[in-house]
Amino acid sequence: MAGNKGRGRAAYTFNIEAVGFGRGDKLPDVALKPPPLFPDTDYKPVPLKAGEGEDYMLALKQELRETMKRMPYYIETPEEKQDIERYSKRYMKVYKEEWIPDWRRLPREMMPRKKCKKGPKSEKAKDTGKGASLTNTADVLKKIEELEKRGDGEKSDEENEEKEGSKEKSKEGDEEEDDDAAEQEEYDEEEQEEENDYINSYFEDGDDFGADSDDNMDEATY
Amino acid sequence: MTQAEIKLCSLLLQEHFGEIVEKIGVHLIRTGSQPLRVIAHDTGTSLDQVKKALCVLIQHNLVIYQVHKRGVVEYEAQCSRVLRMLRYPRYIYTAKTLYSDTGELIVEELLLNGKMTMSAVVKKVADRLTETMEDGKTMDYAEVSNTFVRLADTHFVQRCPWVPATENSDPGPLPLAPILVISEKDMYLVPKLSLIGKGKRRRSSDEDAAGEPKAKRPKHNRDNKEPIPDDGIYWQANLDRFHQHFRDQAIVSAVANRMDQTSSEIVRTMLRMSEITTPSTAPFTQPLSSNEIFRSLPVGYNISKQVLDQYLTLLADDPLEFVGKSGDSGGGMYVINLHKALGSLATATLESVVQERFGSRCARIFRLVLQKKHLEQKQVEDFAMIPAKEAKDMLYKMLSGNFISLQEIPKTPDHAPSRTFYLYTVNILSAARMLLHRCYKSIANLIERRQFETKENKRLLEKSQRVEAIIASMQATGAEDAQLQEIEEMITVPERQQLETLKRNVNKLDASEIQVDETIFLLESYIESTMKRQ
Repeated sequence: MAGNKGRGRAAYTFNIEAVGFGRGDKLPDVALKPPPLFPDTDYKPVPLKAGEGEDYMLALKQELRETMKRMPYYIETPEEKQDIERYSKRYMKVYKEEWIPDWRRLPREMMPRKKCKKGPKSEKAKDTGKGASLTNTADVLKKIEELEKRGDGEKSDEENEEKEGSKEKSKEGDEEEDDDAAEQEEYDEEEQEEENDYINSYFEDGDDFGADSDDNMDEATY
Repeated sequence: MTQAEIKLCSLLLQEHFGEIVEKIGVHLIRTGSQPLRVIAHDTGTSLDQVKKALCVLIQHNLVIYQVHKRGVVEYEAQCSRVLRMLRYPRYIYTAKTLYSDTGELIVEELLLNGKMTMSAVVKKVADRLTETMEDGKTMDYAEVSNTFVRLADTHFVQRCPWVPATENSDPGPLPLAPILVISEKDMYLVPKLSLIGKGKRRRSSDEDAAGEPKAKRPKHNRDNKEPIPDDGIYWQANLDRFHQHFRDQAIVSAVANRMDQTSSEIVRTMLRMSEITTPSTAPFTQPLSSNEIFRSLPVGYNISKQVLDQYLTLLADDPLEFVGKSGDSGGGMYVINLHKALGSLATATLESVVQERFGSRCARIFRLVLQKKHLEQKQVEDFAMIPAKEAKDMLYKMLSGNFISLQEIPKTPDHAPSRTFYLYTVNILSAARMLLHRCYKSIANLIERRQFETKENKRLLEKSQRVEAIIASMQATGAEDAQLQEIEEMITVPERQQLETLKRNVNKLDASEIQVDETIFLLESYIESTMKRQ
């Protein structure tokens, strides 16, 4: 193209005068590394503002920092267990006030679900109970239909009553599980979620049913 | 969100709420809105802890939630609100100057707790004030209530949105998350409460000596569960109103510096008159007539009408254009140009930064380019009367610091560099943004350094705290001076010096944080005001 002064010769494509360097001046060094971490400053910074207001705000800031650490909103990281339990640790614990959020303002999923930790036996009992009761419900409906067709009045009534009774109980049980707020107000800080392999997202709508009782599922499929 | 902002948010959350909340908060700031289980999965924390952290963040208005379709609740963090935590001391101090100790404590409680009901605030503040009063005196709830009402009337505190009460008692399927609403007129409506009582002094029997088991303490607050009359009505501090106040303060002090005390009083009066009538984001206030201003001047000021008119004319003619004349009725209608005022303040900040960083000759070039808008290299040298080599050097320093930028004006359509004008110009908005980013980084550095200093001397600090505790308990049980002397000597002289140095350094770092935050406020206000006008 016009303007090539020759192969291999370095030529500026613009007027070097315009940028401020004269022809033949040594160009400044190319930067080969990032700027230093603590560069030298030519000028010392201006001293800080000092005054009554500034002093007061400073004291406030430091106080606030301390206060925040003692509030219930400051969640401590659980420390790893130390090899030797220090005697002094027991008496240096800072007791914080418990804080309970207003559940009416928060999404439902925020409420802690208290899982009974009475032991595997009672859990299983509860599970089988619930499993049985809910299978009962499905069972009951089928049975009611059958019995209606059969027309066996007394027996069906008795059975119905029995099953309705258990159905109601199971419904109550469910509601109790749902209305966590009614029973326990304690926002237990020690509460741990159960570790199991079951994907909890299957049971998002508040029913605890089935989270633990997958092993009973084989008899419940209708 | 820039990296600098995220880093600063992380440091602030960690200092105030602990590491778990910090982890969740930073994750939300980085990734935008997410549902609960995704947060738990991505951060690797247990669901329980995520819930706790989110409850804390929502309580403090740092995270909001929204129900999306398919019944998923998503949580979003408000990064700018997290950065406001730096300004808490300033808010509290402002409340103190306006409404004295009672107001100060009310605002402090609201900021520390995020949101509270009025009765809870009044009770707590009364208790705190009673502690500081002399023996036998107590603080009456009525006085605290009055201050609270005044704060609400001047819009410094506002109601939080709440769940609208459903008329029918049939619950139906519970919504996944409550939808909170608030109407404009309800925002500052104080419920009619008759709070009768006095503040309680914490009895000395409650204060445990060091050795007693403290297991009984946490339950003690649960005893009195009276029904709260204003249950569900929560209040929060209205940060925008505080910002408006700071902005007004900045404008008034700028006028005072530039002109004199009287003109700043006039401007202050004008701003006070427009407090309620003008929304805080308007570019200029409502026009005020000179007669109105004359009537509203503070009582102590007796300047005649002509003098006032002269001052107003002076202010309107000033090149800084803080005050503008918008008409002639009523003795002259005057407005305050809020947007221009903020622009001038931001520009002044930039100029002062250039001066302190690069020197006064650089500052001269900077002001020159600001004034003339676009200048070529040659013109800069001529106008500034600085030798070419130095001028070039300074221009490049400022260019690499992004205070000045180059504007290309091509002479030919092919933009050939040899046939293009290169003009130096100052783009105030982008320079302000750059400076703001730098401020965030500075504060993050300051906080890190302070934490480092504290950690280095942790052992020494703990020792001194223990010694102080021992001295205090010994004084309480009546010890002699000799014994106290002995205990004090447990801390050796070099250690004492070390503690002094540490204290001085930490104070300096803290004070720097507060003052950098003032710059941040100015720059943010300017950027916000500019963005609103576009």
